[in-house]
Amino acid sequence: MFSWFGKVSYCAHTKVAAFADWLKTGRIAASRCSGCGLVSFPPRADCPRCLSGEFGWVEVSGRGTVVTWTRIDAAPAGFEDDAPYTIGVVDLEEGGRLLAWFGASIPDDQRRVGMAVQVVPRLFEEIPEIKVHYTLEQPGTMWFKEPAPAAAEGLR
Amino acid sequence: MSGHGMDLDLGGKVALVTGGDRGIGAAIALGLARCGCDVASVDRGPRAEAEAAAGRIRATGRRAMAIEADVADFAAAERAVAAVVAEFGRLDILVCNAGITRDAVVWKMTERQWDEVINVNLKGCFTYNRAAAQIFMERRSGKIVNIASINGLRGKFAQANYAASKGGIIALTKSLAKELGKFNVNVNGVAPGMVMTEMARTLGPEFLDAAVEETVLGRLATVDEVANVVVFLCSELSRHVTGEIIKVDGGQYI
Amino acid sequence: MARVAVVGIGHGRFGQRSDATVQELAFEAWREALQDAGLAPDAIDASVVGSVPEYHKQRSLAGVVQEYLGLNPKPTWLTEAACASGSAAIRTAWMAIQAGLHDVVAVIGCQKMTELSTGEILALMGRVGEVQWESGFGTTFPGYYAMFARRHMHEFGTTREQLAQVAVKNHYYGARNPRALFRKEITVEKALASDPVASPFHVYDCCANADGAACVILASERRAREMGRAGVWLDGIGCASASMSVLRRPDLTGLPSAVDAARQAYAMAGASARDIKVAEVHDCFTIAEIMAYEDLGFCEKGRGGAFIEARQSYIGGTTPVNVDGGLKAKGHPIGATGVSMACEIVRQLRGQSGERQVPGADLGLTHNVGGIGQYCFVHVYRRD
Repeated sequence: MFSWFGKVSYCAHTKVAAFADWLKTGRIAASRCSGCGLVSFPPRADCPRCLSGEFGWVEVSGRGTVVTWTRIDAAPAGFEDDAPYTIGVVDLEEGGRLLAWFGASIPDDQRRVGMAVQVVPRLFEEIPEIKVHYTLEQPGTMWFKEPAPAAAEGLR
Repeated sequence: MSGHGMDLDLGGKVALVTGGDRGIGAAIALGLARCGCDVASVDRGPRAEAEAAAGRIRATGRRAMAIEADVADFAAAERAVAAVVAEFGRLDILVCNAGITRDAVVWKMTERQWDEVINVNLKGCFTYNRAAAQIFMERRSGKIVNIASINGLRGKFAQANYAASKGGIIALTKSLAKELGKFNVNVNGVAPGMVMTEMARTLGPEFLDAAVEETVLGRLATVDEVANVVVFLCSELSRHVTGEIIKVDGGQYI
Repeated sequence: MARVAVVGIGHGRFGQRSDATVQELAFEAWREALQDAGLAPDAIDASVVGSVPEYHKQRSLAGVVQEYLGLNPKPTWLTEAACASGSAAIRTAWMAIQAGLHDVVAVIGCQKMTELSTGEILALMGRVGEVQWESGFGTTFPGYYAMFARRHMHEFGTTREQLAQVAVKNHYYGARNPRALFRKEITVEKALASDPVASPFHVYDCCANADGAACVILASERRAREMGRAGVWLDGIGCASASMSVLRRPDLTGLPSAVDAARQAYAMAGASARDIKVAEVHDCFTIAEIMAYEDLGFCEKGRGGAFIEARQSYIGGTTPVNVDGGLKAKGHPIGATGVSMACEIVRQLRGQSGERQVPGADLGLTHNVGGIGQYCFVHVYRRD
């Protein structure tokens, strides 16, 4: 369910909702157009190149480079207890770009534009609801993947 | 457990059973082993008995481990779980079965009788659930079965301590089911009625008869009948069951 | 192509206007613009209202404003492009006049930012960016521009001191603008020492929300000459969009929509960057003004920090920018800002800016950005 994605969700419904299901299993998934093969991250249902609305999923490694970042002290609604937190924008190795929080393995004084990071799928652990996100960690950080959902088409 | 055509998918799994040296715990350990699990037991009884139980596990072709510890010992629980993972490479199943009774009406119950039962039964459940939870969370997979009792549901004369501990296990089980569900960990409880164990045989016949009369099936449970339900809850057959307490009491308390 | 004239301007006081409704604020600017133009209300053929609805309790803003201004049954509607709503409304009016549909159109930029509770504002704050992939991580408006700033600092060596100098300049001129929210000068030290907001930004890198309204009255060339009010023309208009999401902006050190819009406006007006004598740019954050110097061609790419450091955007420099205080000192009633910019440029071209007058100002520019650059409108005004 896409409402699982992010600390606060403003987007409950989307054609690419399975992204959140994949993320819960520990996989970062890009969309691949069934018409022309264009791979997009963030995923999108509608191909900007060939206009097809058919798409599948392909897993990406999560390796990337930090483009820019900021530490937010003045937080919006829903994030007051988290401040300060640091968000970074990352160019992914396979293409596309992602925005996420910096994780515990990269402390304040080590954050640099241009540094290599590993995007790691995460669950918010200490709340009752299922909520998923990802964090930027040191390259080489490992994590556990669940078995892919039985009903899934499978990542190609 | 074989021959019914459905796959328990327990082959190659590793289980830790507290109180697995005798009684219901031994039956649970053996039941899991017969379905393909390697089993470690934690208990504080005579080592000869613990080794004999381990021997029965090994006779099924599975690996076994016998750890001596007081289940209420928080640090020992962490060490025991770590030792199982170090020895077997993984941990998939936890069954918290260790339990004692120290019966007395409340106005005569001593502080020590209360503390001992709460510590072994309830705290001993907390310590192992906590230690195993961390492993299961990281692996995004796990099964926990906590052994409660119908007396935790209905109360029992002269068992304020025992009933409280078993009622507490039920509430703990449900809480953990809520906390660990997102990590694909099933947490359930089994609430036996009176079970025909070596310990039960030492009670007078009038106690056993009274229990039989409470049942609708007209008999007491065997340890295997309780173990079967535990094995079910450890298997893939029950993967959509969590936060549930299954009574195995022949209808003693409906 | 026939030209479009600006025949009247009006500007209300920006600030925390808990004394007035949005339509009452609109009337302050409207009254002044009518007087400035020497027009009676029935001379107006239509109005376009620039405002961002989600900050108001009142729905159908254009409807309530039109009624209060006494303009029923003339046509009206709302134009919204986030913080560029005011310029979007000006562009819309320009198009209506050029189409020959109307001769005289009033553009009212009006906004209340302070009607909402703190909780409602905090909730809106978190929805500035693309909500699907970004807002779930707590992005904020300052956060986005802070990320642009960090990239700019990384690529070009821009410093926090240079950012602070933008704020210092704008507060200097705001102190000399009776309609600005903030009327006190500040120092670089004070700016650097202020509380952190989103690194590298501190409080003085960020504009403040405000309530307020401004109004310009546009007329066709023919009608302007009939009225004897020809003289200041909206000769160049440019508009462009860019991706809403920072995840699809190849370059985070400038706003591609501003570059595109400026190119169009310069071409239409037959002018270049160095012809611009005075400019109003969208300094929602200090880095935004530095990027604007570069995007608009007032200096080379990456040299915006040096530009402010050399005081080139002060009166007396190569291109005076935001000499009315900018968003930084005026405050930013988002629907009104674009129209406020137009008022200042027109005043400058008429020679009416008093101690803040740029000598010989005959070509002026407004640069109005919506959000984090998904919209940009650049207008070039000329005095004959």
